[in-house]
Amino acid sequence: MITEKKSTTVTERIWALREKVLSTKPSVCTERAKFYTQIYQENDDQPVIIKRALALEKTLNEMTVFIDDGELIVGNQSSQHRAAPIFPEYAVDWLPREMDELDKRPGDAFFITVEHKKELLEIAKWWKGKVLWDRGRAIMSQELRNLQDSAIIKATGNLTSGDAHIAVDFYKILSIGLGGYLQEIKQYHQQVKRFEQEGVKKDHFYTALTISIVAFQVFIRRYRTLALSLSKKEQDKQREKELLLIANHCEVIAEKPPQTFYQALQLTYFVQLVLQIESNGHSVSLGRMDQYLFPFYQNDKITGYISEDFTSELLENTWIKLLSINKIRPWSHTRFSAGGPLYQNVTIGGQTTDGLDAVNDLSFLILDSVGKMKLTQPNLSVRFHKKINNDFMLECTRIIEKGFGMPSFNNDEIVIPGLIKIGVEPEDAYSYSAIGCIEIAVPGKWGYRCTGMSFLNLMRVFLASLYDGLDKQSGIVFKKGTGNFAEFNSFEDVFKAWQHQIKYYTRKTVEIDTAVDTALEEIVPDILCSAFVDSCIPRGKTIKEGGSKYDFISGLQVGIANLGNSLAAIKKLVFEEEKITKEQLLIAIENNFEGEDGEKIRQLLLNFVPKYGNDDDYVDLLLRDAYMEFIDELEKYHTTRYNRGPIGCKYYAGTSSISANVPSGAVVPATPDGRKAFTPVAEGSSPSSGTDMLGPTAAFKSVSKLPTEKIMGGVLLNQKLSPATIQKDSDKQKLISIIRTFFEDLKGWHVQYNIVSKETLLAAKKNPEKYRDLIVRVAGYSAFFTTLAPDTQDDIISRTEHSLS
Amino acid sequence: MIFNIQRFSTHDGDGIRTIIFYKGCPLRCQWCSNPESQSFGYSVMYDKKSCRGFGDCIKADNRAITRINNNGIQIDREIITGPEKLRDICASKALTISGESKSVDELLTEIEKDSPFYRNNGGVTLSGGEPLSQGEEFITLLQKLKGRNINVNMETSLHVNWKSVARCIGLVGTFLVDLKHIDQDKFKSFVQGDSELVLNNLIKLIDADAQVIVRIPVIPGFNHSEKEIKQMIEFVSSLKNVNEIHFLPYHTFGVEKYKSLGMDYTFGHKKQVQDSELEPYIQFAQSKGLQTKIGG
Ligand code: SF4
Repeated sequence: MITEKKSTTVTERIWALREKVLSTKPSVCTERAKFYTQIYQENDDQPVIIKRALALEKTLNEMTVFIDDGELIVGNQSSQHRAAPIFPEYAVDWLPREMDELDKRPGDAFFITVEHKKELLEIAKWWKGKVLWDRGRAIMSQELRNLQDSAIIKATGNLTSGDAHIAVDFYKILSIGLGGYLQEIKQYHQQVKRFEQEGVKKDHFYTALTISIVAFQVFIRRYRTLALSLSKKEQDKQREKELLLIANHCEVIAEKPPQTFYQALQLTYFVQLVLQIESNGHSVSLGRMDQYLFPFYQNDKITGYISEDFTSELLENTWIKLLSINKIRPWSHTRFSAGGPLYQNVTIGGQTTDGLDAVNDLSFLILDSVGKMKLTQPNLSVRFHKKINNDFMLECTRIIEKGFGMPSFNNDEIVIPGLIKIGVEPEDAYSYSAIGCIEIAVPGKWGYRCTGMSFLNLMRVFLASLYDGLDKQSGIVFKKGTGNFAEFNSFEDVFKAWQHQIKYYTRKTVEIDTAVDTALEEIVPDILCSAFVDSCIPRGKTIKEGGSKYDFISGLQVGIANLGNSLAAIKKLVFEEEKITKEQLLIAIENNFEGEDGEKIRQLLLNFVPKYGNDDDYVDLLLRDAYMEFIDELEKYHTTRYNRGPIGCKYYAGTSSISANVPSGAVVPATPDGRKAFTPVAEGSSPSSGTDMLGPTAAFKSVSKLPTEKIMGGVLLNQKLSPATIQKDSDKQKLISIIRTFFEDLKGWHVQYNIVSKETLLAAKKNPEKYRDLIVRVAGYSAFFTTLAPDTQDDIISRTEHSLS
Repeated sequence: MIFNIQRFSTHDGDGIRTIIFYKGCPLRCQWCSNPESQSFGYSVMYDKKSCRGFGDCIKADNRAITRINNNGIQIDREIITGPEKLRDICASKALTISGESKSVDELLTEIEKDSPFYRNNGGVTLSGGEPLSQGEEFITLLQKLKGRNINVNMETSLHVNWKSVARCIGLVGTFLVDLKHIDQDKFKSFVQGDSELVLNNLIKLIDADAQVIVRIPVIPGFNHSEKEIKQMIEFVSSLKNVNEIHFLPYHTFGVEKYKSLGMDYTFGHKKQVQDSELEPYIQFAQSKGLQTKIGG
């Protein structure tokens, strides 16, 4: 049963397509894995980049293609809707290990047939020892491997799949067409100096580019052929016309720049699709769709070629197509991104390069069509700025009211100056878009992973600083400390211990990232993705080799609020008020607050210490100082692209930690903020669950005290509102008013809303089949609630619900 | 003395507001949803559900507080000596002291915290209890707020002597006046007060050109009938310069608080008033040219 009602303005065909994709059980598709394996086996002598081009070529030439009944936008990632292709070159170990459990996972289950299992076992056998994971682990020191295994620093996602977290240059793609790329590549290819070592590499790169782009063209033409043959059999005249139109579009856009909005959208979708056949990195984002598609839309609108309704239908169809794309992750990493999302972001609103409001008719259409579909894809972001159209903001709150967590807001007022400050040219800074969840980059000019490097578990580091460097979970002293908490004489000693530990761990995150990036560069270079990013073609380099114009990356620091609250608890109750002794605190957390006095101490920690999220400088500033220790250290390091071309090659901080707060918490014993062992830590930069008692304005104030201009990897704030809070338009205006203050005056970075009642969530947990399409905001993105693991569900349920009185 | 500061309130005037709840009220409405607001002194509140039986309260005052079982205590509020010393005694905050003296500057600091959000005519709302029953400090606060250009609304029953009202005129933006009943007898028996006092003050307040919004709590068994409410609406519409009226439907969210104060909730009605029941009142008020709102 689908609980969502079809809005009257959605056509039957779109609704049927939506239902079809929604009701398709995720499965596994082996086609890509077979093709890649075969090509790698047959071309062992070739450089890896050529192997990859040939493998992509074979896949695009031979994989199943289909056009569904009623589809207006075509293109499929695998042999079926929601069937995740396998990308053996990244990691295979987990496959035989987890294969039998795939359909039994508590969240994000995948259906797999016996034949596919057999096939994959064979494939996995051949790849053993040759894949990204193996290489990455091999080039790490024992220390780094231990750190990873201890789960203090997590980079599993980075070593088991592609990079992505990127948006490509859709402006250029739509303006020169694929044919234009071939010409440009040819031009540079001809100039290659084959007498230089670098020239040899470039030669391979351009050859690979050409193979891949041509393969892409063949892929598009295969849809032309298919549409033509379907049209011949079609009884329905209207549908026959549509199929012919599809065939015609494919013919045009395989070579030339698109002529109409419809063609432009189809090409945009094809690019989005093929990038996710080449690599399985997630957060492949569409950038500022309302901007690059607008000239096409406007032109068609003026000539009367397209109506608003049909535009909306095309967009809705595209969103359904985005949902049909799927990715399978090892379970260990699935838990970090619950709900199986691909975070394909679409960004709307914002400013033009001259600082004017960029909201246009297409922005409204995109917003409304996403609202009508109520799906997890795309992940819709709105760029807020001072002069943004207030009607548009009101419309945003109407969509927010639908309760599927979209759109989320990024703030131009801090992001643009922040980008300019780190060296981004103003024109580029004004063109940024959200990537994935909430993080940001300049589409088509930025390398991979503006966020999404390794995860650092701050609370494990904090606990190590209380035990002279001993990480109790693994029993390892990674970094000898400054003493034991029991011997500390003042809060300053605690803070010094933190400084000492965090410096070490910060450097280790960079070391792990460096090893991972080195392996990715060698083992799995992306070709198409590089083609579509400035300036890979002129430089003759993949993105990983330093092809992109800008390169700034960030990892994710998890447990922000817990860190602040723990510091405040120790400072206040142990050293200032002496309500608890050091020994009492240690015993309490070591025993998970059980035993004599344990619960009482926990209650004191919970109730008598200022908590982050309540606009209390006591804790907010402690947190800022502690976090700055990490940030200051991080700023010393560079990426593997340093001195190889891009501007930047630096790190910044980031907190858009998807659903990592649950698995990250699952490896952290009890903490001095009163959090029980192995329960979730706080999500992103949001207050700890249930501790922000003063409502959204106080939470805004606390968050804005973080050094947000230095956390360009994202300052994720999730606020939950009960539906009643924004029922009336006057309530919506009040919500807009606090958002405006948060962004204009407090320079907040991001905010998003979960509008859903506790009762609904509890009911959905009990009767999942009744709420299959219930969407909640997990962290930086939305997910189907019923696909989440029970502990993630509980975490969402327990987050504070701000209601008005 | 205050008993609560609530930020991000959206239902008591324009914009986003911070509400200061003052402790102490001359009336005793049987349905009062903030019973801790009635007494002018400290109130000892005990929430049994949060009690873990730590027993620190007993150590602090073993005359007035006795253990009844592992997870529960009994309080004899009559003989408690100095509730102040019980304030931070309970780790789980099952036992709390409602009521806190805050200086004008402390209050201003709290109010200023949300000042960036007071755009679109937001600001502070003074509520209670009865804010007009507060002493001189209260006027200082009003003056300072005016000096800082922070918009002030005040929720009041007007059940105070005229002098206390008069001194605030010019310092308060909008008075949100509770009009409970016009009938003297009903007023007396249900809220233990004098309706004449309220009505006279209201008329004087309007004569003084203050901005007033009238709020009618719609209470079953007290005034929830067409005859009574219409009578009040008639009265309101006869007042010059009052063009807005709010209906506050009876709710029972405060019932748990009575238990925690050791008080009995004697008001018989258990059913909340639904918005739909207010329809005839709204229509009537609108026909009289009044703007209406439910719940403020
Ligand atoms: S006037 Fe208000 S605070 Fe006073 S008793 Fe009545 S309802 Fe309670």
